[in-house]
Amino acid sequence: MKLIKSLLLCSAMFISLLSCKENNTYKERLKDPQLFHNSMQQLSDVIVYDIFSPPVASRVYMYPTIAAYAIMQKQYPNKYEDMAGQLKDFKTIPEINDPDIHAELAAIHAFLKVGAALIFSENKIMAYRDELYASLEQDGLPSSVKEASLAYGDLVAAHILAWADTDFYKQTRTYPKYTIQEGTAFWKPTPPDYMEGIEPHWNKIRTLVLAKADQFEPAPPYPVDMSKDSPFYQELMEVYELGEKIDGSTEATEIASFWDCNPYVSHHRGHAMFATKKITPGGHWIGITKIAAKQAQSNMDESINAYARVSIALFDGFISCWNTKWNTLIVRPETIINEFIDETWLPLLQTPPFPEYTSGHSVISRASAVALTDIYGDNFSFADTTEEVYGLGVRSYSSFIEASEEAAVSRLYGGIHYRRAIEEGVKQGDAVGKFIVEKLKTLK
Amino acid sequence: MKKHNLLHLAKNSLLFAVIYAGLQSCESPKEVSPVYFNSITAEQSGIDFENTLTPSADLNIIEYLYFYNGAGVAIGDLNNDGLEDLFVTGNQVQDRVYENLGGLKFKDQTAAADINTQNSWSNGVTLADVNNDGLLDIYVSVVGNYKTLKGHNKLFLNQGNFKFKEIAKEVNIAFSGFGTQASFFDYDNDGDLDLYLLNHTVHTPRSYGKAEKRTEKDALSGDLLFENTLETGVLNFIDVTQAAGIYNSPLGYGLGLATADLNKDGFIDIYVGNDFHENDYIYLNNGDKTFREASAKMTSNSSRFTMGLDAADLNNDAQIDVFTLDMMPDQASIRLKSGGEDSDKVAQIKEGFGFQTQYSRNNFQLNNGQGAFQEIALLTETYATDWSWSALIEDFDNDGFSDIFISNGIYRRPNDLDYINYLSNVNFSQYNQDQQDLLEKKLIEEMPQLEIANVLLHNQGDFKFKKYSEAAGLKNNYSNGAAYADLDLDGDMDLVVNNINSPLEILENTQDPSIHNFVGINLVPSAEIKNTSGAKLTLFSGQQIWYKELSATRGYASASSQNIHFGIGKNTTIDSLIISFPIGGTQTIKNISINSYQEISALIDSRIVPTKTYKNNTAAVVDFPFTHQENKYYDYEREPLMLEKLSTEGPCYVYEDFNGDGLKDLFIGGAKYQESAFYTQNEAGSFTAEIKTVISEDALYEDVDAAAIDFDNDGDLDLYVMSGGNDSPEGDIQLVDRLYINDGEGNFTRSEANLPMANGGSISVADFDNDGFSDLFLGFRSVPGAYGISSSSVILRNTQKGNFELLAREDYGMITDSAWGDMNQDGLLDLVLVGDWMPITVLINRDGRNFENQTEALGLSNTQGLWNTVLLQDLNGDNKPEIIAGNAGLNMKIKASVDHPVEIYLEDFDKNEQLDPTIFHTFEGEHIPFASKDMLSKQMPMLKKKFTSYTSFSKVREIGQLYDNPINEIESKYLKELRSMVYVNNGIFQGEPLPIEAQMSSIEDFYLDHQSGDLKLYYVGNYKGFVTELGNSPANTGGILSGFNGNTFIKNNPLPLPPFMEARAIGPLNSNKLLVLFNNDTAKTIDLNHK
Repeated sequence: MKLIKSLLLCSAMFISLLSCKENNTYKERLKDPQLFHNSMQQLSDVIVYDIFSPPVASRVYMYPTIAAYAIMQKQYPNKYEDMAGQLKDFKTIPEINDPDIHAELAAIHAFLKVGAALIFSENKIMAYRDELYASLEQDGLPSSVKEASLAYGDLVAAHILAWADTDFYKQTRTYPKYTIQEGTAFWKPTPPDYMEGIEPHWNKIRTLVLAKADQFEPAPPYPVDMSKDSPFYQELMEVYELGEKIDGSTEATEIASFWDCNPYVSHHRGHAMFATKKITPGGHWIGITKIAAKQAQSNMDESINAYARVSIALFDGFISCWNTKWNTLIVRPETIINEFIDETWLPLLQTPPFPEYTSGHSVISRASAVALTDIYGDNFSFADTTEEVYGLGVRSYSSFIEASEEAAVSRLYGGIHYRRAIEEGVKQGDAVGKFIVEKLKTLK
Repeated sequence: MKKHNLLHLAKNSLLFAVIYAGLQSCESPKEVSPVYFNSITAEQSGIDFENTLTPSADLNIIEYLYFYNGAGVAIGDLNNDGLEDLFVTGNQVQDRVYENLGGLKFKDQTAAADINTQNSWSNGVTLADVNNDGLLDIYVSVVGNYKTLKGHNKLFLNQGNFKFKEIAKEVNIAFSGFGTQASFFDYDNDGDLDLYLLNHTVHTPRSYGKAEKRTEKDALSGDLLFENTLETGVLNFIDVTQAAGIYNSPLGYGLGLATADLNKDGFIDIYVGNDFHENDYIYLNNGDKTFREASAKMTSNSSRFTMGLDAADLNNDAQIDVFTLDMMPDQASIRLKSGGEDSDKVAQIKEGFGFQTQYSRNNFQLNNGQGAFQEIALLTETYATDWSWSALIEDFDNDGFSDIFISNGIYRRPNDLDYINYLSNVNFSQYNQDQQDLLEKKLIEEMPQLEIANVLLHNQGDFKFKKYSEAAGLKNNYSNGAAYADLDLDGDMDLVVNNINSPLEILENTQDPSIHNFVGINLVPSAEIKNTSGAKLTLFSGQQIWYKELSATRGYASASSQNIHFGIGKNTTIDSLIISFPIGGTQTIKNISINSYQEISALIDSRIVPTKTYKNNTAAVVDFPFTHQENKYYDYEREPLMLEKLSTEGPCYVYEDFNGDGLKDLFIGGAKYQESAFYTQNEAGSFTAEIKTVISEDALYEDVDAAAIDFDNDGDLDLYVMSGGNDSPEGDIQLVDRLYINDGEGNFTRSEANLPMANGGSISVADFDNDGFSDLFLGFRSVPGAYGISSSSVILRNTQKGNFELLAREDYGMITDSAWGDMNQDGLLDLVLVGDWMPITVLINRDGRNFENQTEALGLSNTQGLWNTVLLQDLNGDNKPEIIAGNAGLNMKIKASVDHPVEIYLEDFDKNEQLDPTIFHTFEGEHIPFASKDMLSKQMPMLKKKFTSYTSFSKVREIGQLYDNPINEIESKYLKELRSMVYVNNGIFQGEPLPIEAQMSSIEDFYLDHQSGDLKLYYVGNYKGFVTELGNSPANTGGILSGFNGNTFIKNNPLPLPPFMEARAIGPLNSNKLLVLFNNDTAKTIDLNHK
């Protein structure tokens, strides 16, 4: 990060030396899609810092990105379709009515403004923003342009936040928590912290493109049945035996860790209790979107379009999956293996705090991969560096779908999902992704 | 008594200094403590010891959980010269032994004594004469077999003249593992001392699992019991852990240990305090070399992070009480940024795993002498002293009441929530192993430090304790092990405290000997009693009684004096001292002198075994064949900010003649999904269950109150049942009240009348307009889903035409009970209402139609409480009814008074159509939110934005700092009184609390017996529906109050009801029986004739 920033600064200085009296460097900078990538990275960092659960994080990515897209659409109406009428309850944003408005700056401003409203540690976004604006002003951003763009960005942000306010998020904050159901089959909180089930009412959140949360219901899970020949028992033993087999160094371990994407892994070390924070599954695919956009040399508005389509797929994908999870209430492998098979068995990954079926990573990875394939094509080789910052290395894929399939199966290796939740989850994500590709028109 | 000039001088100059300071600060007179400890400098004492801790990459608080638990102190006369000597342990530094030279001067005898504990991690130390040679030996518990730590527990056998020989291996007690402390006690009453080894475990990655794990074995962490074979002539210890039924598991985080005869059956029992999720163990000695673990039977809850503890009599009833320490901060800002209680969900999960209830606060387990402990730390306000290690129960001012000394502090506070957050933002994966070691070092260095003062809880009698620190000469420090003894033999108990990274403290008690008297006993062994450990000493003076057991291991990792010391206050004569010995037999001594130490040679002068004082009069109590079955509903999953469940109200009952045979029948209301029961009484006075189909069909409803009323004026009693519960919204059919019309023979049909659908509270029937027809009051408890908001209650007049006229419909508050009585003697019945967050409310009946709220005029406007029950009865014979009202009691984590009320603010602060009830209370003088930051921001995420750190939240003192709403626009209610009270009717009401025993839990119902001439007020209570952060209140199932003195009752006798059960109702059932109904349990009858 630091390196990139200082490089950027250095090149900016170099350019400013070359330019003559009227300093228009800011215009060049505002064309650079990296500016938006950085802003998105900033949002991602705060999401990690503030610890948002995967479904809530998908909401925090989505609204700011729609704000940026909506402004790009107003700026380039011939290139992009308005999302009004395509996303539930979304009304078109105010028009750009001041020639001083710089649309890209307004888009970044609206993005950060909406983002700051949805996260907790606002000061982190503000610090980034102030530094950015100061450097743009150094590079010649006239105050009239700045003021007009920011005013417009504020207007659009308010418009987006008013829309967000009606998505039932607020109300669901105080909906009843999950009451632990008696009986082996039902999901129960898991060690070490036995955290409260995350977002049992996420299916009440307003979908964007999907008509309703249960539009693409997967096949039902195998009934929990501990008789040795039941399909459930078979798949339970597969998780258990894989867990026994996998040790520190296999590729399966690497894959599981690479795609862990657990925003809050709790540790008890000596007398210290703490958590390790990481990006969410959605955050990982936002990262892949950046890699793809850069590799395809998408400009700023094209990059924003890609982020918007992926964040919409993530958002609806989580609602679809969470609807299934909290309706099926399937028990996690860790709980049932500890109870019936091996009291000391630990999954490779820490079990996340929500029911098992279907696998969220499988659903949303597939939905995102379908969205990205629609934009950048099927044969798109890339090196996924998203997890490098977490010390998890780089993995390479020849297509988005290939990456999504590895993400899906990683949950089996991680010991936190049965195979059926993965396979049916992939199908569920595929259906969600394809439906959105079909229905949602952006690039004309 | 020897006087030491130097000492005297120091005392005088101290006195002078105090006076001087007093003169200087006229404006705010300095708090004067009844005890002052003078800290003796190293120069004065000759002791230069410090438990210095040096963390390394291998060994630090992250690598070893208990790195900062500190070390111990043991005091005892090692050379039998009459002066008590000192042994101190050092975790990383050498243990030291000091000879007491008198005058608080000591000589280091470590080298001469050949005590070598280099390269080992010493924890606890205790002193005991293991070979009955009349010399105290030393046993040190160490951590060995872990990382770089080697070594084993050590037994230094006393050879006399400060010569010791380490023989742990030779006698089979060289345990090498996670040793904490040991206690030597005679478990089989054979005259030699056996050994309980307290060990601890360290965390595993999966935190906790099922409690069954305590039956597993662990060679490093499991506790052990050894039997001494000295009686066979050979000093040797045999491991009898398994045979004796002692857990030896990896689940025990043993930090506290005491051995005492908890049930006074003549056999010494064991109390083990466990840290973290594991419960404390109470091993009751079966007398046959086995124990039964009885914590679940004997206690309602224990400390969660139990550390040190002591077992001794705290209320002079000759029963051993237990005081266990935890880590609840007593400074508001620290409390708000430290982890609190488990969430309600986690508490529920732990219960499902088989763990007993635990609260993260000190526990005061008051022995009720009937086989159970009443936990009253909240009532005694002894529950919070921060991160506490040693508890020592002793009478430090000789006023006749035992006080509690508490050592305090943790060198690094890993539970600081901001620190946990900070730690969570460190990306470990970016560092290699060497860097990680460096990082760990840095992380530890940044772990917050805070010195906390040691505390003296001064016992003022009648369960009142006052906290002193600075005023008692106690300083801020990181203190762990501690022990008491009268080191300078001046008649008061001094203290020795082992500190982390600062010098060992010798605290000289500076009591003025002219104020109070004491009795000192040095019990010396004899040919008959070779070991005096475990002796029980009971001292009598008039009506007063003092009781002690001779046991060394107390506090944390420490052992105190084995001289017995009783403060006797102003008493000057002692009637007798009775000593009983574990091997059987007693010794009675009549001529006890006071204010000096008396050497008594242990002898048996009577073989008569003293009658067991352990009372068991539960024979008078038998089951009644009705078991209330509360449905499972967790209100807090919908309303996390509420204080208590509003869905566990029943059972209720009606005792009236329904079938017209002249005998009263019994209706008992069921919980939701449970059929209500109906019993007809026969001539013999017994009851036969009868199925009333029309009633049992209505099992869906939760019955909260019921009454008999002649609704249709046909001369028989109909039955009105109020439905309630917090799980359905107001207006839901599941909340509808039911009226069952009687045909005169006890056959009911359900009336089609339109009845209220709300969470019912109370029904009261009376003819308030004197027209010969029964009228009604219907009071409602709450608006389901909106804790704090109340619904309108109604007063209904019987029109004499089979229906009712609505006279009043008003929100009087969250009604729980109501009663009609002529409060102003005008011939018209007035209405008295009680409930939650509301005053005792009196509606004066003006003319049979109009009611006037006269609460304020009658002097009751400051009585807002959590009232459960009200009884109107003339107690003083002036014909004007008094108000007797049952409240939540004083054993509560929130404290309420007129000056410092508890407030609840009722508003949808985040505008999401859900009430966000926010409670503020005064804690240690600071006005703070009751719910934690996490709790509040879970319901209102906007608060996460407002308070990005716990430190910023810890400064909140007013509602305005939480929310932007103008304060005067927020609806608020108050609690100003939590005691159960008698309000005497003098035209205006004069309130006096019921005796302290009756404040130990909630009172849910009364029954006044005024037939025998002497007024007897029966009460029942206990309530377990409070949220975990507040804690259950099950310390007193019931009692009988008598001795009405014109203002209140002054005498309490316990009812022989089982402990911890939630009684909801009590009342007469034919002439000499009382019926007691319990929530979620089987009803009981009490036979009043049983002796």
